Amino acid sequence: MLFAMIGLIIGICAGLVFPGYIPKEYSIYVAIALLSAFDTVIGGVLARLEHRYNDKVFLSGFIINSLLAALLIYAGSLLDIELYYAAIVVFGVRLFQNFASIRRILLNSHQKK
Amino acid sequence: MKKRVFSADKLRNNLSFFVVFLIFGFILVLQLRSVKINDEQPTSEELARASELSEMLIKEKEKNESLSEDLAQANEQLDQFRKEASESGDYANVLSKQIEKVEMMAGLRAVKGPGLTVTLSDSTAASANGVSENNYVIHHEDLLAVVNELWDAGAEAISINGERLIATSEIRCAGSVVSVNNNRYSIPYVISAIGDPATMKSALEMRGGVVDKLTIWDIDVQIEEKSELTVNAYSGTISQKYAVPVTTGE
Repeated sequence: MLFAMIGLIIGICAGLVFPGYIPKEYSIYVAIALLSAFDTVIGGVLARLEHRYNDKVFLSGFIINSLLAALLIYAGSLLDIELYYAAIVVFGVRLFQNFASIRRILLNSHQKK
Repeated sequence: MKKRVFSADKLRNNLSFFVVFLIFGFILVLQLRSVKINDEQPTSEELARASELSEMLIKEKEKNESLSEDLAQANEQLDQFRKEASESGDYANVLSKQIEKVEMMAGLRAVKGPGLTVTLSDSTAASANGVSENNYVIHHEDLLAVVNELWDAGAEAISINGERLIATSEIRCAGSVVSVNNNRYSIPYVISAIGDPATMKSALEMRGGVVDKLTIWDIDVQIEEKSELTVNAYSGTISQKYAVPVTTGE
């Protein structure tokens, strides 16, 4: 987890000093990709706690889910359907489920001690 | 041996976590910053609209300019006709005198004489708790009240910020400014009136009168009596689309 924290802090710092920004037209794509990345990250944490973590699944999930989500939005904008709701709902539900699982695991391990 | 493989795995796991969290943090902050920047910047549609509007404004201004040039020319012509008329005999002389009088009453001629100026500025006092800021600024009603009082006290010609009041003049709120003869004026409002200075002054400063009511809100009212001041002529056009004169016996 230490590596994750260091990575997050470096990432945040890099984001803060990065020159330039994302134009408004692409904002929604990045937002959805971000949501899917968040989902993957939480999923990865859970998998680690459950000792079924696989870095290949994790990395491929992180990249492909983000791209897929952005692609979904693009397809939606072509068809004039707001498909990002689908992505928001799916990722949102998964996030809550994973958070609940993490909470349960952490509570259990705490009680064992 | 087994232990070594395990630790290599662990390192790889940690590394992948490190990379993913790094990217995640980076995109997160970048997006947060972008949203903030994007909110502050006008969209391209807004910019297009703004430039469109400013173009329209420029066109209108040009139109306005050419129209006032036309008006000035027409006035010059009129003056010439008048001059010719007054030089060509007694009857014409009488007529031109009459025209002068009518023009003075209609506000088409600048006039001078004794009078006073009333200067109104927004209150500089801080608003009391729970009292609307609105009470501390000048509204068109206040100007109307002052003008009304002045007419009542025998004013013969009145102008607001140089805009002569004529029979069809409006004094109307137009956002944060006041529209007089369809031109917009903002504070300070200077009302010039020709008439008996003392009478007009006492009419304004009557107990419970206009000035009293305005000073409750600390609105700055300055009255200056003048032995001679000039009130401009009405500079706009008078167009009568609907009204036609009625001839007696018709």
